[in-house]
Amino acid sequence: MRAGLRYGVLIAVGVLMLYPLLWMVGGSFKPNHEIFDSIGFIPHEPTLEGFAKGWHTSTEYTFARYLLNTFAIILPKVVVTVVSSVLVAFGFARFNVPGKRALFGLLIATILLPKSVLLVPQYLMFREMGWLDTFLPLYVPSAFATEGFFVFMIIQFMRSFPREMEEAAVMDGCNSLQVLWHVVVPVIMPAIISVALFQFMWSMNDFLSPLIYLSSVEKYPVALALKLSIDVTEATSWNQILAMSTIALLPSLALFFAAQKYFVEGITVGAVKG
Amino acid sequence: MTRSSVQLAGVSKQFGPTRVLGGVDLRIEPGEFIVFVGPSGCGKSTLLRLIAGLEEPTAGRIHISGRDVTHTHPSKRGVAMVFQSYALYPHMSVAENMAFGLKIQKSPKDEIDARVRRAAGILQLEALLDRKPRALSGGQRQRVAIGRAIVREPDVFLFDEPLSNLDASLRGQMRVEIARLHAQLGTTMIYVTHDQVEAMTLASRIVVLNGGRIEQTGTPLELYHRPANLFVAGFLGSPGMNFLPAQLMSHHSQAVTVGVRPEHVALCTSEDGLPAEVALVERLGGEALAHLRIGGHAVVAKLAGDIALAARDTVRLQIDARHCHFFDGQGNAMTAPA
Amino acid sequence: MIYGSRMSGLLYLSPYLLGLAVFTLFPFVASLLLSFSDYRLQDPVSAAQIIGFENYQAMLHDRTFGKSLLVTLVYVFLTVPLKLAFALFIAFVLNFRLRGIGAFRTAYYLPSILGGSVAIAVVWRYVFAGDGLLNQAFVLMGAAPINWLGEPAYAMGSIVLLRLWQFGSAMVIFLAGLQGIPTDLYEAARLDGASAWQVFRRITLPLLTPVIFFNFIMQVIQAFQEFNGPYVITGGGPLKSTYLLPLMIYEEAFKYFEVGYASALSWALFVLVALFTALAFRSSKYWVFYAQERGEGDKS
Repeated sequence: MRAGLRYGVLIAVGVLMLYPLLWMVGGSFKPNHEIFDSIGFIPHEPTLEGFAKGWHTSTEYTFARYLLNTFAIILPKVVVTVVSSVLVAFGFARFNVPGKRALFGLLIATILLPKSVLLVPQYLMFREMGWLDTFLPLYVPSAFATEGFFVFMIIQFMRSFPREMEEAAVMDGCNSLQVLWHVVVPVIMPAIISVALFQFMWSMNDFLSPLIYLSSVEKYPVALALKLSIDVTEATSWNQILAMSTIALLPSLALFFAAQKYFVEGITVGAVKG
Repeated sequence: MTRSSVQLAGVSKQFGPTRVLGGVDLRIEPGEFIVFVGPSGCGKSTLLRLIAGLEEPTAGRIHISGRDVTHTHPSKRGVAMVFQSYALYPHMSVAENMAFGLKIQKSPKDEIDARVRRAAGILQLEALLDRKPRALSGGQRQRVAIGRAIVREPDVFLFDEPLSNLDASLRGQMRVEIARLHAQLGTTMIYVTHDQVEAMTLASRIVVLNGGRIEQTGTPLELYHRPANLFVAGFLGSPGMNFLPAQLMSHHSQAVTVGVRPEHVALCTSEDGLPAEVALVERLGGEALAHLRIGGHAVVAKLAGDIALAARDTVRLQIDARHCHFFDGQGNAMTAPA
Repeated sequence: MIYGSRMSGLLYLSPYLLGLAVFTLFPFVASLLLSFSDYRLQDPVSAAQIIGFENYQAMLHDRTFGKSLLVTLVYVFLTVPLKLAFALFIAFVLNFRLRGIGAFRTAYYLPSILGGSVAIAVVWRYVFAGDGLLNQAFVLMGAAPINWLGEPAYAMGSIVLLRLWQFGSAMVIFLAGLQGIPTDLYEAARLDGASAWQVFRRITLPLLTPVIFFNFIMQVIQAFQEFNGPYVITGGGPLKSTYLLPLMIYEEAFKYFEVGYASALSWALFVLVALFTALAFRSSKYWVFYAQERGEGDKS
């Protein structure tokens, strides 16, 4: 009986959770007049009109350009995040650097810091450097392990890493970098993948940074382009708008379903063992 | 000093306020099988790690093959280590695990192949070369760990409790294999264990450590029959030596401790045997361990397996005086009076 | 440790040290200085004048700020407890030898992944529209539709529900925490005759407190920094009823170009968050129970 109740609750909540998404996808295949007609998400008269027009976004560029921009920002960002986070985490986990505790404390503090405080000075800094309206402010800071959460996550994974394996590698003649590259990285690869995935997702959803740094529409990532096209699209072309939202979410959706377990593992190791 | 010798002079190690090893002096000759044995915390693993180079001594010097290696990198000391947890690289095959050290040191490919094949042959690993560690049994992984050490052709092999993670039946097998390996290769081997059976059966010489100091070194039988102090006497042998307080009449009633091994305590029928009461008899089949009490002191006797004895029996004991050990007030062995 | 020099350690940490100095500490101090200035965005930095505490004084009299502060606090106090409670509840329901646990977990976690995006915010606007999805559901159930985005009271509801919809990430963490509780404890309790509620109160909950604490901190931090929702869905309105602080800071700096004032606002937010965090950490001594992970091992 208890089990039945559980299933009941879970299914009800599940439906509530997923319905907005189903409605969104369904709506992108509906003709406009049908969208607010009923609560159902399956189109009575399916059409690709929403997608066809939505792809062209009512701006001078198509989604292709915006998706390209997004990847041009996110891929470098993920790469430099992974590299810097692993290096810094290794430094924290395996070396007795003077002031390590204080530095680690600062790392935690930066995770807790509201980013609004740094927003304007960073903007001014990048302005002085002439980096406005480029992609640089969006990924260069990540090359310096500024997102403490990822460093923290890798440090947690490294805590349970068997020291003897590293010692064996040292006895085999490795210096610290060789141990890191040949032995540690392959073994903590799940953690690294988790970091990459999380950074990908967060960056896909990041709206404020592109908003303040990018001014040319041709450089807009999907997040900004979506907002723009919604502003310029006719208010009643809902299927276009829903279609555009669907397209915008496709990369995240695809990645999530492909790599689900890494998401779950990554977030829980950071939290539960922290 | 010759190749494969190890010399420790005044070696100490301190971790912060804790002194783990104090002033260790030891000389190991080429080809010896040395076992470091002692209770938990005695410093035996630390000593091994100092020889390996994974730790640096707080004081003292270490020489391997005649060279001062006190500050040399582990990979350049001519040593190879077999870890307790095997420490195999899980993402590499057996062959790659064994080849790794040579690859890092940029040895030519054919030399790497030749050495890996040779080591695999010695340890019967040929069929497993392409497998990953997770597809191997505990015993097989242990052999790969040893193979990885053999490939490096070291002057000294270091073993850090390699059999602790194996179950009992496998341990016996692997013990024999390690002994055979030493016979075949003839290289100096330093072996750390807390298991005195391994120490007794494998060692050409045993080093007993306690509280960071060497209690005694010697061949297994030397330590067994002529322990230098109470600690060594009590540590080796299972069940342990019986200790009884006594007074030495011939030496001004000096307070001494008399030690006698359970196998040297026998039952006798004559009236001048020591009276004792049986508390418990443990029957192991081939032998029986009788837990007795002599005037308030516990004594264990090793007797024939089918001895007719039960709890609460009273018996008389005969202790062979030739096999008694005498220890003075400081616990040191005294030369036995008649 | 085994890697020789401390120099290498510093080398590994160098990106972090550099980044900390350049992208965190320097801007941090700079924003404090800016908060004491009258700097406007379009001017060169050299034109800024120090005006002491004027910005802060203005803040105290600024009704918009008062409103923003209020709605931000309401938002945090509503979303954090609700989200945590719901996440814990669902994690509890899920923590069972269920078939299809993976599918449910996916269904709940997915919104967390997508929820922070502009796309979802856009969809949300249509879900909460006058004739949108939610109102249609209300009508179907016989209730009256609500003017979500037009009424100040209900507009907050729309962004609160958006955040609650994303409870999946907290739930996943709670689930892992629950699964980390050794089952022998439950069996021993059952043998002692404990009821389900007693088990929950005396075993589950105490052992979960570290995870609850972690989730609590993370949720508070995130809630105070919410930007996308208000910006895209409500624009901060109607009547500033969803004008959360991050949005206000953004508009002051990039719409009205009052960088000095925006910096003062951001520092107010920082102090607020710091106070919350400090209080949480202080209080944790009293209610967070850390089970010992490892006993003292033997050393050879």
